[in-house]
Amino acid sequence: MKYLKTWPVWMLMGLIVVALLTVGTTRDSGPLTQSDRIDSITKHIACPTCDGESVFVSRASAAEAIRNQVARDVSAGTMTDDEIIGSIANTFNGKVLLVPRATGIDSLVWIMPIAVLVCAVAGLWAAFRRWRRDNSGEASSDDVALVEKLLAEDPTDEDNV
Amino acid sequence: MNRGKNVPYIAGAAGVVLLAFLVVLAMAKPGGSESASSPLLGKPAPIVKSTTIGGGTFDLARRKGSWVVLNFFNSTCVPCRQEHPLLLDFAQEQESSDNAVELYTIVNDDSDGPVQAFFDTNGGDWPAVRDDDGAISVAFGVAKVPESWVIDPNGFVRLRIMGALTKGFLTSRLDELKTQFAGG
Amino acid sequence: MLGVAGLAGPLGRAALFVGLIGAFFGLIAAVMGTRSEDEKVLRLVPRFATLSCVSAIAAFAAMEWAMINRDFSLAYIQKVGSKSTPALYNFTAVWSALEGSILLWLLVLTCLTSGIVFKYRDRINDPMVGWAVATMFFVGIFFFILTLGPANPFAVGAPGVLDGPGPNPLLQNHILVVFHPPILYLGYVGMTVPFAFAIGALITGRVGEGWLVETRRWALFSWGFLTLGIILGSWWSYEVLGWSGVWAWDPVENASFIPWLTGTAYIHSVLVQERRGMLRVWNLSLLVSTFSLTILGTFLTRSGVLNSVHAFSESSIGPYLLSFFAIIVVVSVALIGWRGQKLHSPGTIDSPLSREGAFLANNVVFSVFAFVVLLGTVFPLIIEAFQNRQLVVGEPFFDKLAVPAGLTLLFLMCVAPVLPWRKASGELLADRLFWPAWGGIGALALSVGLGATGFAPLLTFALGGFAGGAALRQLVLATRRQGLRGFVGRANGGMVVHIGVILIAVALAASNSYTHSQELLLKQGVVATFDGHTFELIGFKEESDARSTVVAAMVRVDGGKTYTPAITKYKSIGTNIGTPSVKSSFVKDIYLTIEPPVKVSSKTAKIKVFIKPMVMWLWIGGGLMGVGTLLSAFPGRRRKPTDATSALVPSETSA
Repeated sequence: MKYLKTWPVWMLMGLIVVALLTVGTTRDSGPLTQSDRIDSITKHIACPTCDGESVFVSRASAAEAIRNQVARDVSAGTMTDDEIIGSIANTFNGKVLLVPRATGIDSLVWIMPIAVLVCAVAGLWAAFRRWRRDNSGEASSDDVALVEKLLAEDPTDEDNV
Repeated sequence: MNRGKNVPYIAGAAGVVLLAFLVVLAMAKPGGSESASSPLLGKPAPIVKSTTIGGGTFDLARRKGSWVVLNFFNSTCVPCRQEHPLLLDFAQEQESSDNAVELYTIVNDDSDGPVQAFFDTNGGDWPAVRDDDGAISVAFGVAKVPESWVIDPNGFVRLRIMGALTKGFLTSRLDELKTQFAGG
Repeated sequence: MLGVAGLAGPLGRAALFVGLIGAFFGLIAAVMGTRSEDEKVLRLVPRFATLSCVSAIAAFAAMEWAMINRDFSLAYIQKVGSKSTPALYNFTAVWSALEGSILLWLLVLTCLTSGIVFKYRDRINDPMVGWAVATMFFVGIFFFILTLGPANPFAVGAPGVLDGPGPNPLLQNHILVVFHPPILYLGYVGMTVPFAFAIGALITGRVGEGWLVETRRWALFSWGFLTLGIILGSWWSYEVLGWSGVWAWDPVENASFIPWLTGTAYIHSVLVQERRGMLRVWNLSLLVSTFSLTILGTFLTRSGVLNSVHAFSESSIGPYLLSFFAIIVVVSVALIGWRGQKLHSPGTIDSPLSREGAFLANNVVFSVFAFVVLLGTVFPLIIEAFQNRQLVVGEPFFDKLAVPAGLTLLFLMCVAPVLPWRKASGELLADRLFWPAWGGIGALALSVGLGATGFAPLLTFALGGFAGGAALRQLVLATRRQGLRGFVGRANGGMVVHIGVILIAVALAASNSYTHSQELLLKQGVVATFDGHTFELIGFKEESDARSTVVAAMVRVDGGKTYTPAITKYKSIGTNIGTPSVKSSFVKDIYLTIEPPVKVSSKTAKIKVFIKPMVMWLWIGGGLMGVGTLLSAFPGRRRKPTDATSALVPSETSA
C-alpha cells in the first residue's frame, strides 16, 4: 500500500480536484425562475420597519409591500436587479440598504474584520516563529533559572499546585 | 511568554472602553424633526389610482387644480388615532374656506371593515383610498404610519410630514406653501 | 378561585425578596467562611443556597399559578395572558417576555448553585470551591435585583382589566416554544458554573488543571444545550416563520451564536491545557468571554437598543445589564492580570504542525469569527449613538464573512484529528490524510456528478468529505481497538459531533445555493407542475375559534399526501401570520406558503413553492451533535498513571 501514498499520487489527486472544480464552477447552473430573481433581489433590500431583516425574511407588512413592488418590477422586465434595488432604495431615501456602503465611517464595518484577521494571522506567525527559534534544542538562560528556582522550592507547599 | 505583564493594561483599557460605551448610550438624544426629506420633494407625485372604501374611485392625477393632502393611516396605530381629531378640525376648516385643500386617507395595511368602523365611530367623511398590495405606500416610500403628504395643484410633491400631526402645523405649513407657490 | 389566585402577586414578590436575601447571605457566608476558614460559617452556605433555590422555584410556581388562573391583577399577565390562549401555550407564555424569562433564568441558576453546593458538600472548605460558590451567588444576586427593580414580574397592573392579548402569535402555534427557550437557557446559565470555578481558581491562585477537570462535564453539557437550543431555534424559524430559511443573522440569533463560537473554541482549547498545561490565558479568556457574552447577548436582545439606541435610556434594564457585563469583564481581566505570572505554562508549543498548533489556530479562527459577528450586530448601535442615523448591517455582510470562516474551520476539521501532539512531519500527515483526502475527492466528484455548481458550495462539499473521512478514520481505528467502546470518550464522541457539524455545513451549502422557488396560481381541480413535481389544489379549510381564524389551502403534492399552508388571523392582535407546510425527504424539502389575500370563493390560491435540497440533513446533523456530546461525556479509555500523555510519534530517520 505504501506506493499509493507517494507524492506522485498526491499530485494526481490535486489535479483531479482542480479538474472537478473547474468543471463545476464553469458550467451553467440552469435557468432561474422569476420567483428566484425576486428572492435574490429581496435578499438585498432591508425591511424599513424591522431590526435589520431583509425584505425576503421579514413578514412585516412594509416588507410585503416592497416584495409586491419587486414582483411588479421583475415581471415588467425592463430593469436589471441592481436597478430595481436602486429604485426602491431611492424611494425609501436610502433607509433600505441592507449593508453599509464602503465609504466614510461605514466602511469600518468592512475594514475592521480584515484588520483583525491580518493581526491574528501575523500574531500566529510570529508566535510560531518564536517557538521554532526557542526550540532550537538548547536551554535558554531563562529556562536554567526557572529549573533552579523550581528545584529550590518546597514540594510540600500546597499553594503552588 | 511574558504576556502576563500587559494584562492589567488590557483590563484598564477594557474598563475605559466599556465606560465610554455606557456614557455614549446614556447620552443619546432622540432626534426627529417634523417635516422630513424625500427624493420625491419637488418632483411629480407618483401615480395613485385606486378605489375608495365608499365605493368610488380615486385618481390623484385628476385632482390637479387643488392642493391635496394624503394621510397614510392604519386603524390600529396609536399616533394615527391620536391625530384624528386634528384631521377632523382641518377638514372642517377647509369646508368653509375658498381654495379648499382636499384631504384623502390612504389605508396602509388594513382592511375595509376596521377602517370604516373607525370613521363611523370617530367621525370623518373624506374618502379613504384602498392600497392594494401596498403599492401606493411603496411608491411614496412610506414604511411607518402616520404620514401626511402635501401635493400642489400642479401635481408636484411639496411636503412630507412623518409621525402624528401637531395642532396647527398642517394649516400653517400649507399657508406658507400656498404663498410660496402662488398661483395654487 | 380568583381570590386565591390573587395571592400570586404578593407571594411571588415575597419569594423573590427571600431569594435575594438567600443569595446575599450565601455570598457573605461563602466569602467570609472561605477567608477565615471557618467551618461553622461555611456550613451555612448550603442552607442559603437551598433558601435561594426554593424561593426561585416558588416565584416561578407563583407566576405559573397566576398565568393558569388568568390573574389579570398582575401587569405581566395583562401583557401576555389571555382567556382564549390554550392551556399549553398559556403555560409557556410565562417565558414569552422579559420579566418571565428572568424568572426562568433564576430558576435554572439557583438550581445549579444548589447542585454545585451539594456536589461539593464534602469540599466546601476548599477555598476554590468557596470562591466558585460565592461567584454563583453574586450572579444570582444580580438577577434577583433585576426582578425587584426594572424587570419586576409581579408588578401590579392597571385596575379593572379583564382580558389580555396573549403572547406573541408566533409563540402560540408550535410546540417548540415548550423546548427551545428552556434548553437555550440551560446552555446560557450552565456556562456560569465553569466561569465561577475559573474565578475561584484565579482568586486562589490554583490556575493549574484542577478547576478545568472539575468543570469539564459542566462546560460540555452547557455547550451541548446551547448547541441544541440554537438548532431548535433554526428549526422553529423554518417551520413557523414562513420565509423558508433557517438562519437570518438577526440580533437575537447572533446573541446566541457569539457565545457558542467562543464556547466551542473553549471546549477544544481546554484539551491542550489538560494534556500539556498550555494556553492557560487563552482558556480563561475564552471562558470569561463566553459567559460575559451571554450577558451582553441578553442586554442586546432585551434592552431594545437594537430597535433604537434611545430605548437604552427609556427602560432601566439596559443600564443594569450593561453595567453587570462591564463588572464581569473588568474583574475577570483584572484577576487574569493579577495572576499573570502564575499563568506561565511550563512548556511551549514545539511545532505549528501539531495538535496544539491546530487548536491554537482554531482559537484564533473562532475568536475572529465571534468578533466579526459581534461587530456586525453592534455596529448599527454605535453609529446611531454617535451620528444619530439609522444603519442596517444585514445578511449579506454576515454571509460574506461567515463563508470563509466556515471553510477555514472545515479545513481545520480535516487536519486536526490526525495531527499528533507535539510534532508531526509531512510524511506522517500524508500517510494519515490519504484516505480522508480520497473521501474529499469522492464527495466532490459525487456533487459535480449530481450537477452542483458554484465555487463555495463545491469547496464545502470537498472539505466536508475530507473532514468526514478524517473523523471516520478516528472512529474506525478506535472501534477496531476497543469495539463499541470506540464510540465513547472525548476523542471519539468529538468525532461524532464533527460528523454532525459536517452534515450541517453541507446541508447549509446545498440549501442556500440550490433552492428554487416559484409562485403558482392554483385553480381548484387543475394540476400545476414545477421542477418535476405536481401540485393540485383540493380545496380550502377554515377553522375559527375564540382566539383566531385559520384559512388553509389543501394542496396535494405529487398525487400523494395533502399539505396545508395556512394564514392565521389572531383576533386579539389583528395580525395575519402565515404558516408554511413542508414535505420533507432525505433529498429535498418542498416548502409551501400561501400568499394573502385568500379568496376562498374564487377557488384559486396563490401558492409559493420552494424546492430546498438536503434540509433534513441539518436536523440529522444537529441530532448527531447531541449524540456525540453525550458520548463525549462518558469516560473514555481509563488512562493509567504510567501512560504517556500523548501517543508516540513514529520515529523518523532525521531528528
